[in-house]
Amino acid sequence: MVAVLAATSLTARAAGSALSQLDQQCLGCHSAKGLEKKLTNGEALSVYVDGAVFAKSVHSKIGCAVCHANTSFENHPPVKTKIDSIRDYSLAQTKVCETCHAPVFKLYEGSIHATLVREGYPNAPLCTDCHNPHAVMSKAAYDAATGAPCSKCHDPIFKAYAGSVHGKAALGCSNCHRAHDVSAATKGDQLKDTCLECHQDALAAHQTWLPNAAQHFETVSCPACHSPAAKRKVDLRLYDSVTKQRVAEKEGVPQFESRARAADAKGTGLDAMALRSLLRGFNREGADNETTLRGRLEVSTGVEAHQLMDKSQAIRDCAKCHQQGADAFQSVTVSIVGPDGRRVRYGAQPEVLNSMISVDSVGGFYAIGGTRIKLLDWLLALALLGGVGVPVVHLTANWLFRRYAKKISGKEDS
Amino acid sequence: MPRIYVHPLPVRIWHWINALGFVAMIVTGFQIRYIGLIDLMSFRTAVVLHDWIGFVLIGNFFIWLLFYLISDKIRVYHPELSPLKHFRASFRQALYYGYGIFKGEPNPHHVSVYQKFNSMQSMSYQVIMMLLVPLQFYTGVLLWDVKRFSGMIDVLGGVRVVDTAHVLIFIFFTGFIFIHVYLATLGHTRMAHITSMFTGYEEIEEEHGGGK
Repeated sequence: MVAVLAATSLTARAAGSALSQLDQQCLGCHSAKGLEKKLTNGEALSVYVDGAVFAKSVHSKIGCAVCHANTSFENHPPVKTKIDSIRDYSLAQTKVCETCHAPVFKLYEGSIHATLVREGYPNAPLCTDCHNPHAVMSKAAYDAATGAPCSKCHDPIFKAYAGSVHGKAALGCSNCHRAHDVSAATKGDQLKDTCLECHQDALAAHQTWLPNAAQHFETVSCPACHSPAAKRKVDLRLYDSVTKQRVAEKEGVPQFESRARAADAKGTGLDAMALRSLLRGFNREGADNETTLRGRLEVSTGVEAHQLMDKSQAIRDCAKCHQQGADAFQSVTVSIVGPDGRRVRYGAQPEVLNSMISVDSVGGFYAIGGTRIKLLDWLLALALLGGVGVPVVHLTANWLFRRYAKKISGKEDS
Repeated sequence: MPRIYVHPLPVRIWHWINALGFVAMIVTGFQIRYIGLIDLMSFRTAVVLHDWIGFVLIGNFFIWLLFYLISDKIRVYHPELSPLKHFRASFRQALYYGYGIFKGEPNPHHVSVYQKFNSMQSMSYQVIMMLLVPLQFYTGVLLWDVKRFSGMIDVLGGVRVVDTAHVLIFIFFTGFIFIHVYLATLGHTRMAHITSMFTGYEEIEEEHGGGK
């Protein structure tokens, strides 16, 4: 024990003169590697602080006591203080962060991360999950090589991203997703707008070759073309045409899934009739609340959304989507914005995109050729048959009539 | 054989531009809708051609409209206000095409400068020129730039509704163009009406005749 304390006091001194005497006193014990506190649930909370690292961190300027204000020599070590779990301790300490970092904390509170915390997800990130409070540097904590801290939770996505055109350019996650006000990827147009913040001439560049480029920008997500190996799908989003917003579940009274299940009696996914009935259910709520569906072509998974390739590899062949049976239209979901900003989806049958019954219910989504209505194909075949058939029948009747008339007149002559 | 001048130059110019344009629109329309089944050109080429030819046809439509608005020839489009008279004449005309023409009976309609259409044509062309063609141009323009016209498209029920209307009219014109060409061969000779649309002069014969 004496040897350990001697060694730690040496480490504390080595941490440098940058630290106050009080901090050095703290480190006298806390720089002992392996120092930990047993918690009520059996977990061991590490209370070890690397003095040298802490001395370099921005928090060294404020010292230990500012964050650990409830600790004094009189009550320390807090043998009587019970801490239930590491999570509980981190949750409590998060409030401490707010005292100095109020503006950033406010951004965080609006994020999907904070929403998940409020919803009680045990792995939802708190400040200390991304920032080691004893090693906070003035620059971002992001490590381009490993993707830390984001990759701690989003490793498969980081791996996909690392091979992408952005990953190879060593851009960090926060370049697109922001560091603290991270929103659900599916919420609003924030992500698309983020793409356009850097790629400002993207629309003009697409307009030089892509017909209806502005509409493609609205209806097709960037990865749907720029992540060429991805599997594509259509998401039909409930949209309020009065407020011009996507429809969101009402807090505390989620109805979408139950209504979708009720409409989908067979449980095989919503067909054209079920989709109509679901839509009618939402339109009954308010007199002037016109709920419609707006479709969006996107990639199937978050991993695929991060496999963005150089533009030379992006899909430019219109036929990839604009022909019958195109892969993009074989998977369809209907969605609403959930209370936490994430989408709540329900499966629909691909036929909803080709059915005459869906003309008005899926009025907001149509890809020429790819989602064409089959009944119209039959009508066209009928028109062609009529167009060719009527002259042929008329000519034949004329020929037969004249032949018959000739025969009659021949008989009369004889 | 006596001749009368029934197709003034602006009408003939409009007609042949329209004829070529409609054929091109139908071909590119097929290509756009049935890529993979028909491969005459790329989807993009078909869309670009369809857009440009569409605008040429819209301009061309205004040549036709302006000509008829400023000339007294608009009388050829004046509807027959007596329904009984109109349907009687239409019935006679239908009977001629369905039976009388086989027997070599004369066409019941006598072409004149202000009555170049028989009653069936008159009714058809009023619907086509005043309703279907403008509607097709209107829906076509909306589909040309969906984002720009999104407000109007939403009022109409969405892009799928607009496209369905556009395709329904396309289907009608696809069938119509065959019938139109065939009826044009039912003059006193197979080429009589077609030639008159080049020269402007329709030959008047008493025994045989036909409409387009």
